[in-house]
Amino acid sequence: MLAAGPALQQETRPAPLQAHDSGPPDETSNERKRRFERSVLPHLNAAYNLARWLTRNDHDAQDIVQDAMLRAFRFFGSLRGEAKPWLLAIVRNACFTWLQANRPADTVAFNDGLAELLPSEDDGPEALAVRNYDRRMLNAAIGTLPAQFREVLILRELEDLSYKDIARIADVPIGTVMSRLSRARRMLAETLQASHPSRMQVHK
Amino acid sequence: MTNEEANRLLHAHIDGELDAATALEFEAYLAEDPTARRACQRLRQMSDAIREKADYHAAPAWLAARVRAATAAEPGSAGALRSWRAWLAPAGVAVADWLRPAASFAAVALVTWVVALGTMRPGDEEHIAHEVLASHVRSMLANRSYDVASSDQHTVKPWLSARLAFSPPVTDLSTSGFELVGGRLDYVGDQPVAVLVYKRRQHLIDVFVWPVVAPKPDQTLTHDGFNIEHFAKNGMDYWLVSDLGRDELNGLAQLIAEYSAGP
Repeated sequence: MLAAGPALQQETRPAPLQAHDSGPPDETSNERKRRFERSVLPHLNAAYNLARWLTRNDHDAQDIVQDAMLRAFRFFGSLRGEAKPWLLAIVRNACFTWLQANRPADTVAFNDGLAELLPSEDDGPEALAVRNYDRRMLNAAIGTLPAQFREVLILRELEDLSYKDIARIADVPIGTVMSRLSRARRMLAETLQASHPSRMQVHK
Repeated sequence: MTNEEANRLLHAHIDGELDAATALEFEAYLAEDPTARRACQRLRQMSDAIREKADYHAAPAWLAARVRAATAAEPGSAGALRSWRAWLAPAGVAVADWLRPAASFAAVALVTWVVALGTMRPGDEEHIAHEVLASHVRSMLANRSYDVASSDQHTVKPWLSARLAFSPPVTDLSTSGFELVGGRLDYVGDQPVAVLVYKRRQHLIDVFVWPVVAPKPDQTLTHDGFNIEHFAKNGMDYWLVSDLGRDELNGLAQLIAEYSAGP
């Protein structure tokens, strides 16, 4: 039989990303800019993808990412370790700040404690043949997920980030990442099933 | 095992987050439980479908340029001053006060030169070569080589034509070892241009195309480890940029010239 808890490869509480220290001493501003271009700028697409999925429109995603990149540049000295999760944490925070001000309904807090779900014996195996759903429907369904669930799904599936990195970006424990991810997938499956009435006839 | 535990393990399993021992145990459990097996399969299908079909929103081309411009405008004067001094006094001697006006003069001269560079008329080959190279490097740095990703010339061509005042010839040359991977738009020589992106082994090749404004001689350049090839054919200017070897890049130029001369 299996051990009681999930044996994950990572510790359960990731270390915070910020360190309070400036960059290498005697670094000229040109060197700093070059280092920024090499290590942070290559993640611009990931930053934009996350912001675009969270804000759901190009214009605001562009503004947010531009501001966040500048912010990242100013705090570049505090970067320790990998640039991608560090940058995405900055972008993500900017997006949630924007959402709270402009789309408060999107950020309604869900109780993560209730997010666990049962293995889905109640939906027939064919009902969730997601590969048969078209692109448009899938995009729309992801777009309807509440922001904190959409976020973990995008980071996991489109950026291929580990639970540990996602936990750092969203600033939550790994267990919360797991429950949000499983709940996001469940909600997505339900939305897709509902938007495809012909598949609701499948019998258990 | 409770349902809740099984569910957590199931997701961790498909996400590759279980350690080797637990993954083995979990697979043994799946082998015995058809319901869990089906759930696992469905989750995998969903994960695959999202990865395959969900939109990946790449940053628009100009955003990287704008971010670069914004960081360049950031105050970093302490550092900048230090580098100026280092340049003026390589031996580490502090810049004497009397030298400071000279430094300002040098700065003004530099600014004037940069402005002059920026306002140069299109048609200056070196300027164009510099612009296409910069565009190529920028796209590689930002990891965003194309706006439309397709190996199908019938997808890339209409995409570009719909966004430009001209219709660039697009040919897939994969049978000759140059796979068409996509296209993007850029702004070179004061006009929007088409960029076709080809791949050979691990090298990306940008092919810039626009209607000839003023005829320029064919040429081959090398700069910073990049090769640049220019020719004109059937009223179109072509600039090829890549870190690919010179001979191979020239080979691609010849193929493109050959095909664009076709029907």
